[in-house]
Amino acid sequence: MKSEILYPGAFPMVRVDLAAGESIKAESGAMVACSPTIDIESKMEGGFLGALSRKFLTGEKFFFQTLRASRGSGEVLLAPTVPGEIVILELDGVNEYMVQKDGFLAGADAIVIESKMQSLSRGLLGGEGFFILKISGKGTLVLNSFGAIHKIELKPDQEYIVDNSHLVAWSATTSYNIEKATSGWVASFTSGEGFVCRFRGPGLVYIQSRNPGSFGAWIRQFIPVSE
Amino acid sequence: MISNALCFGNEFPASGAPCVVQVEGDGLTIIFESEGTEGAREVILFSALTVSAGGLDHDHLVVKWAHALGERTLYLKNHDVIRAFRQAAPDQLNAPFEQAAERVRQVRQRHRVLWAAVGGSILALVLGLWFGADLLVEVAVSRIPVEWEQKLGDSAYRDFLAHQEVMKEGPAVTALGEMTQRLTEQIPNNPYKFEVTVVKSDVVNAFALPGGHVVVFTGLMKKADSGEEVAGVMSHELNHVLQRHGLERIVKSLGLMTAVAIVLGDQQGLVGMMKQVGVELLTLKFGREQETEADVKGLQLLQRAKIDPSGMIKFFERLSEKDEGRMEWLSTHPMSTARAERLKAELAALPKKSPEPFTFEWKQVQASLGSQPVVAP
Ligand SMILES: [Zn+2]
Repeated sequence: MKSEILYPGAFPMVRVDLAAGESIKAESGAMVACSPTIDIESKMEGGFLGALSRKFLTGEKFFFQTLRASRGSGEVLLAPTVPGEIVILELDGVNEYMVQKDGFLAGADAIVIESKMQSLSRGLLGGEGFFILKISGKGTLVLNSFGAIHKIELKPDQEYIVDNSHLVAWSATTSYNIEKATSGWVASFTSGEGFVCRFRGPGLVYIQSRNPGSFGAWIRQFIPVSE
Repeated sequence: MISNALCFGNEFPASGAPCVVQVEGDGLTIIFESEGTEGAREVILFSALTVSAGGLDHDHLVVKWAHALGERTLYLKNHDVIRAFRQAAPDQLNAPFEQAAERVRQVRQRHRVLWAAVGGSILALVLGLWFGADLLVEVAVSRIPVEWEQKLGDSAYRDFLAHQEVMKEGPAVTALGEMTQRLTEQIPNNPYKFEVTVVKSDVVNAFALPGGHVVVFTGLMKKADSGEEVAGVMSHELNHVLQRHGLERIVKSLGLMTAVAIVLGDQQGLVGMMKQVGVELLTLKFGREQETEADVKGLQLLQRAKIDPSGMIKFFERLSEKDEGRMEWLSTHPMSTARAERLKAELAALPKKSPEPFTFEWKQVQASLGSQPVVAP
């Protein structure tokens, strides 16, 4: 399996070359085009209830798709829904990554995707919801972001503060606390913003250069409201 | 060999160097497998180590030691390695390790307790809301200022009028004005300014919007046998407004979270949401309890205004019978004999008052609407 980012920048696409018999997991709807040798299996990971709970608890789409080169080698083109960068990580089998639910685009068949319940304070205030994806195993992982992806490298005990809505993925060796960015609990709660994550290394934190929530709010002001 | 740990240090990448950790009798052997450090091997004695718990869920064993190139940190998650470490390491190392493990247990315990508490409170909240939702809605509604209600009603009213032909003057408008006048005079501390609009349409309907707009269709007036019958419907509709039934329905349909937000003082967000539902106000269906309340309060209001309440009952009874007309009012006001019976009982309990007739002649009002008075079946 070989992957390459096409048209890097705001509107990228990933080309994944699959050898005969190889397969990848992709977010449902991510497939743009593929060779006729590729079969698309909409598999419910973790059974019906698992898929159902993923849908309702993480707000994520119902299925992961499995794209399998079952009739000979071929290629698959994948793209995310939102404009933004794509980054390819090679998981070494030891490093594990937490990925906020919209950040996952695709992964090698050997990588393991689990829905993970966050601690209460992180779930309530973190902005990624109560469930995030925990991705482990060995192989290629493709993440996408809203805007550009920026990698923050943290040495042991080095700290960094990130606005929670800009988080894409972070390694499991990091830890973080949720902190209030401003004073005033009511304002923080009702606006859904105003919380930041204080990360502590070692490890990597991937952030996106645009905030989907703020962008949505910005767009909404141009949508006419009938008076 | 398969890597089972990550080693961090100045010369390693920020994501750590995958390595194999082997636990020996007197320390750890670390074998690096990543490029550039191929085959590199490091032996560290237990005496040189400090340990703690770390990582996102405090489930990593973190081992630190001083190295010629700076401090090094090892993150271990593999259970077999952790077990071997605990067996081989001397007590003074295990002591902080036990503490770390205890902290992990505590954190997990705390999470469990917290989640249980959250589950419990959600259950309590659901149960509480199941039984207390109406109370919550009431409290929320009572906190919404009348001006907002008016704004909401105004926008729905304007939307509605855009597609309707309004009767601006004439005997029907005058008659409805008189009815409204007599009814509203009897409402103490009335915060609403009721405005009645007559819409030219054969639809048998009348409705009130939050804030005080009352709309009566000419179809309903043609169907009525007397001014008292129309006044009965008016009195009913006015009481939907006075009892803020529309707001109650909106808050209910917007959801309990909104109600909670209003009670807690966040009324700003509501304006937008209410605007969104503004159009739906026109098709708003009230609950059975609200209808009964509007009926009973409407009857009492008629009585106070010295308008014969039997007109209201008669009209309701007639509406409950089959009719070929487009009885829109019935779609939002399901009639039943029980409803009329209830009003009769209610009326019997009220002190008798001699009604005062209206100044207009109903047949003339109906004639001005351009059709023959409808004869009761
Ligand atoms: Zn009603």
